[in-house]
Amino acid sequence: MASASAERAGAGPRADTGGRPVRRRGVPGPLWAVPPVAALGLVFLYPLALVVKQSFSPDAGGHSTRPWSQVFQEQSFRTALWNTVWIAAGSTAGCLVLGFVLALVIAFVPFPGGKLLSRFIDVFLAFPSFLITLALLFVYGTVGMANGLWTDATGASSGPVDFLHTPWGVLLAEVTYFTPFVMRPLLAAFSQVDTAQLEAAASLGARAPRIVRQVILPEALPSLAAGGGLVLVLCLNEFGIVLFTGAKNTTTLPTLVYSKAILDGDYPGACVVAVVSVALSVSLYGLYRALVARTTGGARRAGA
Amino acid sequence: MLVHSRAGRIAAWVVFFVLFLPLFALPFLVIVMASFATNWSGAFPSHPTFAHYRAVGGGDSLHALTTSLLTALCASVLALLVGGWAALAAEKLRGGTRKVIDALFVLPVAVPSVVVGLSLLVAFSQPPFLLNGTAKIVILAHTVLVTAFAYQSVGAALARLDPAYEQSAASLGARPAYVLWRVRLPLLLPSLTAAAGLCFALSMGELSATMMLYPPDWMPLPVQIYGATNRGSLFEGAALAVVLMVSTLLVLLVMGRVRTRATYR
Amino acid sequence: MTRTGSATSDDPAATPGTPTGPDAGKGSAPAPGSAPAPGSASGIRFDHVTVSYGATTVLDALDLTVEPGEVMALLGPSGSGKTTALRAVAGFVTPAAGRVLIGGRDVTGLPPYKRGIGMVVQQYALFPHLRVEQNVAFGLRANRTPRAEVGPRVAAALEMTGMADYARRYPRELSGGQQQRVAIARALAIRPGVLLLDEPLSALDAQLRSGMLAELARLHRELPDVSILYVTHDQIEALTLADRIAVLDQARLQDCGTPHELYRTPRTAFTAGFVGSANLLRVRAEGHGVFRLGTAALRVAEHPGVPGPAPGAEATMCLRPHVLRQLASEDAPDATPGTGGYPDTDPGIGPAGEVNVLHGTVTGVQWRGHTHRLLVEAYGHELRADVGDLRQPPAVGARIALAFDPQDAVLLPGGLTAGAADGRTAPAAGGAGDGVG
Repeated sequence: MASASAERAGAGPRADTGGRPVRRRGVPGPLWAVPPVAALGLVFLYPLALVVKQSFSPDAGGHSTRPWSQVFQEQSFRTALWNTVWIAAGSTAGCLVLGFVLALVIAFVPFPGGKLLSRFIDVFLAFPSFLITLALLFVYGTVGMANGLWTDATGASSGPVDFLHTPWGVLLAEVTYFTPFVMRPLLAAFSQVDTAQLEAAASLGARAPRIVRQVILPEALPSLAAGGGLVLVLCLNEFGIVLFTGAKNTTTLPTLVYSKAILDGDYPGACVVAVVSVALSVSLYGLYRALVARTTGGARRAGA
Repeated sequence: MLVHSRAGRIAAWVVFFVLFLPLFALPFLVIVMASFATNWSGAFPSHPTFAHYRAVGGGDSLHALTTSLLTALCASVLALLVGGWAALAAEKLRGGTRKVIDALFVLPVAVPSVVVGLSLLVAFSQPPFLLNGTAKIVILAHTVLVTAFAYQSVGAALARLDPAYEQSAASLGARPAYVLWRVRLPLLLPSLTAAAGLCFALSMGELSATMMLYPPDWMPLPVQIYGATNRGSLFEGAALAVVLMVSTLLVLLVMGRVRTRATYR
Repeated sequence: MTRTGSATSDDPAATPGTPTGPDAGKGSAPAPGSAPAPGSASGIRFDHVTVSYGATTVLDALDLTVEPGEVMALLGPSGSGKTTALRAVAGFVTPAAGRVLIGGRDVTGLPPYKRGIGMVVQQYALFPHLRVEQNVAFGLRANRTPRAEVGPRVAAALEMTGMADYARRYPRELSGGQQQRVAIARALAIRPGVLLLDEPLSALDAQLRSGMLAELARLHRELPDVSILYVTHDQIEALTLADRIAVLDQARLQDCGTPHELYRTPRTAFTAGFVGSANLLRVRAEGHGVFRLGTAALRVAEHPGVPGPAPGAEATMCLRPHVLRQLASEDAPDATPGTGGYPDTDPGIGPAGEVNVLHGTVTGVQWRGHTHRLLVEAYGHELRADVGDLRQPPAVGARIALAFDPQDAVLLPGGLTAGAADGRTAPAAGGAGDGVG
């Protein structure tokens, strides 16, 4: 970046340069950022602004808050809001517990192939979420492994497992899909834990649960919080998993946006739900970023 | 080592695999098995067949695959260009401007993809930009969604890049553009290909925004999979899902190969 | 006051490295604005260069001139500002005040790539994706050197550093010492007038380091026109390689002179302690070159015409460990200091007629192969004395006598505070001269 170094070289008060002008060449630094920011503004910010505008523009014409009051009165919206929040919170809790246990074993009770397993988890992250729901259909669906086992064993015509179309199915799928997002930062944090510290604790007679509680958990807390924050936002935004369960009675804010806009053609209503959804996710994501900046910011500053 | 007794270690591993296998390994196994089956009423699927894959070989499904590949290619190239450029420009900035650009380029991660789709639908169905019903709007949506990841991975790679390289080059008389081209980009190449691979994979699996936007003649693979399962053709959906996974993995693998070759050059 | 007056100065170009006098920087600075021809001799001048990060001043009004063709070592502990000074020459930090001149040209506002310098950093920073020859050619290509010229110049640079056989290798295929040579070849290929070396040997192990040190000295003999600014915290490197050494501490220039001057006649307590080791004793002047340390009266060689501290003034006496010698123990009177074993008016005279005798108690004996280091508690100071390998080293707790020659002592002004820049006395002082009643 030509501009930036030239500018830095010219910065600062200099009293006695003998009247020689500081030569600045090329484009000043901030200008280089203009093209990508402008592009993003056009295809991301401008459309978002139009969504907000549309939420105040009922189909009847003019501008009013009618779409908002309408949407807020609908039972379906309130259910979707509640579903979104509790499923996301529950999934996050599940991911944290599961991810902590699994990462703990990979990091501290190593077994052959453990490295390969963490690679597998990386691959897992590259696949779309709805594949999990698709797989769960074959495992717990009305025709599927679990019910098949039951019918094979008992001779009954149908199995007892039927929760996929309920919010619990969504919860299970989200816990499965998002757990790796918790494990990754945790594994990174665990690799920083000094093994000498663990050995010292063990030599002092501390048993494993105590070591986990008093040595490992405090060390992992920041990454646990960061991973949890990210998963919470991703769960709030999750669409594919909910769509693929095909449950009409399980709607969340994203699926409500979809059904209002595409199925009902109610754009102002969809925009209202969208604004609520964005406000919820972005504020939580802001908190998450602040948290991450707090935990890693010091190190990054020192490195700069 | 945390657990010192052999029994304790084995217990920990048992807990691990009891949790890990059904949750993470089983789903993929199940999808692969189902893609070869015509019926699943017992514990295991029955009546093995290749019919679903033969169906993928022609017609809509193949079209969906090429659509997905093309979309992902365009989106990841565009995202790398915009996100990489932004990351390079932001690196030299300090203070408020830097924070604003950082926030701006990670925002698409926080906004639900469905809303990104909706917003593009709202914005580009009206003048001055009429893109609704074209392939462009799908590619645009994918680009918006994956640019954030490109920005973050390039930014992280830049932060890791030792400034001594850049400074040595400058001390040897190389202008910033020359340093960028001959030193920084080659050193960033592994990170750039990794970022491209990530963007490609994300775009291949994108469903939410696509569902809001796709025109009938530009139907990517995930939409096709949803269509199949929605009309009850679960086994065909499974076959398509396997195709999706395999093609994503292949691209990631190729990108990984590029990466290792670059590091050993 | 400057080193130029020092009798030990054997460097005709020894221009003052000391502050702001009217003669600061004399003999440097050709007409401003004249761009250096590549490869021609060009010195460096720091003109009151101040660098701050926020409220912290990391380099405080540095005035220093590196003559064309001179090797100047910037020596100091970490955080002393020495690397900052080098980076100010390279253009990676911007002075808050002052100017940097290279070859008489003010480069303060110029970006690094327009300064025509060669630089070698601690970790070499060889470009890992380029072969050795491509690394060396980098600067030439970046400066658009004609294609026909690049090859021979790369070959010459590699030849000079003994790396011609490795041209086709990648940096990761080389050892640390070889990477070091390539880094130097890369910096020299552009024929810089000025070579900046930032702790270039610190990443090498001790054995390689001494080899590279000799190598650098040879390179400088082959390239007598190149000025070298050499940043190091290692006094051995500085003493071995440099024509002159600038000692920095706490963002300030403490001292500047030839290695010999700094070692023999340090001007500040900091220099004395940092360049070689030193016993620093707080003494009081009595006039006529006599100083009092406790009950001992010590005589220091007088320099005609150089006024010493007035009687009653405090001064610091610097004694290198190796100038102290142990007097045969049976000859040393077992007198307790302060009991009046020696009359107060009579300077300490040993039984065999030695002057400058110090009595003390041995608190430690370290055998170092060719020497014994004795730690001796005397007059409230812990003295270190390096004496020749002793058949029978004194036991801990024994009373011994140490002596030194009057010309081996150096007086520093004032108490033990380092870096008191003003009121310096002449370097090889010690004398009392006139003003004593």
